[in-house]
Amino acid sequence: MESVPLTWEEVARVYGRKIYNFAYRLTGNSDDAADLVQEVLLRVRKGLAAYQPGSFEGWLWRITRNAFLDEVRKRNRRPTAPLPNEVDRWELASSPSADVEYSRISIGDDVQKALLELPYEFREAVVLCDIVGLSYEEIARAVAVPVGTVRSRIHRGRKLLRESLT
Amino acid sequence: MNHAGELISAYLDGELARHEIDQLQAHLATCGKCAAELEEMQSVRSAVRSLPLLELPSGLIPEADAEVVPLRRNKGFWVGAAAAAVALVIAIAAVLTPSTPSVALEELNSRYGARASLDPAFGPAKVVVPDLGDILE
Repeated sequence: MESVPLTWEEVARVYGRKIYNFAYRLTGNSDDAADLVQEVLLRVRKGLAAYQPGSFEGWLWRITRNAFLDEVRKRNRRPTAPLPNEVDRWELASSPSADVEYSRISIGDDVQKALLELPYEFREAVVLCDIVGLSYEEIARAVAVPVGTVRSRIHRGRKLLRESLT
Repeated sequence: MNHAGELISAYLDGELARHEIDQLQAHLATCGKCAAELEEMQSVRSAVRSLPLLELPSGLIPEADAEVVPLRRNKGFWVGAAAAAVALVIAIAAVLTPSTPSVALEELNSRYGARASLDPAFGPAKVVVPDLGDILE
């Protein structure tokens, strides 16, 4: 059976960076990514007591995904929020911290830009596979779709990336 | 076998069963289109995987006991929470603080005047007159 982190601090230590990278690659925005990490850890802290042994990764990434989508919905309801009204069009932030972060990763500029242009489902599948390192089975559990759908989304996402990058 | 399509990505990700790998490899040996797509997918996959793994911003995750150091929410949350706390304190203070009692001068005199007669600390203040020479020096 999969070992389960006992405390949220352990979850934070082991998975915090992965969650941050997941969020950053989905949004292109370091502030949003940091907010998401905190939101996910809050939910983990609340949810750990009721956690049933099983796929911890699936549980954690389902929480992460739900937190991300909740945040997108929340922003869409806020008329003054800087984000546009579609899940798959997060803007690049213009805050200084984001600029600093962005300059650090300029080596991957084109790839990051191409990722942000993908429809959300494809981007999510590619990021969970190639950035987070989940198996198709784990992605399927996190996203609640069949493994065949995951396989299709990853392949179609990569094909769109190739078109963007050439 | 038709064109391999999404089997190519699954192959690169190690998500195919042994018999599927054998079938795909046999197909790739005879299909230039799929062989080219395999190369392209491999290149895209490598590009995404070579994106740098970013460090967590410092201070994002408290090191100390969670019960003592709660997770930091975004700035908006804390500004709102602080404002609410200040408003609450003011409201409670307004309810609990009794209005300033009006005490007659005579009563004060009788309370503290009596004590002043017993306690040297309540004695008349000493007036110290500085030496004019010290000031002028």
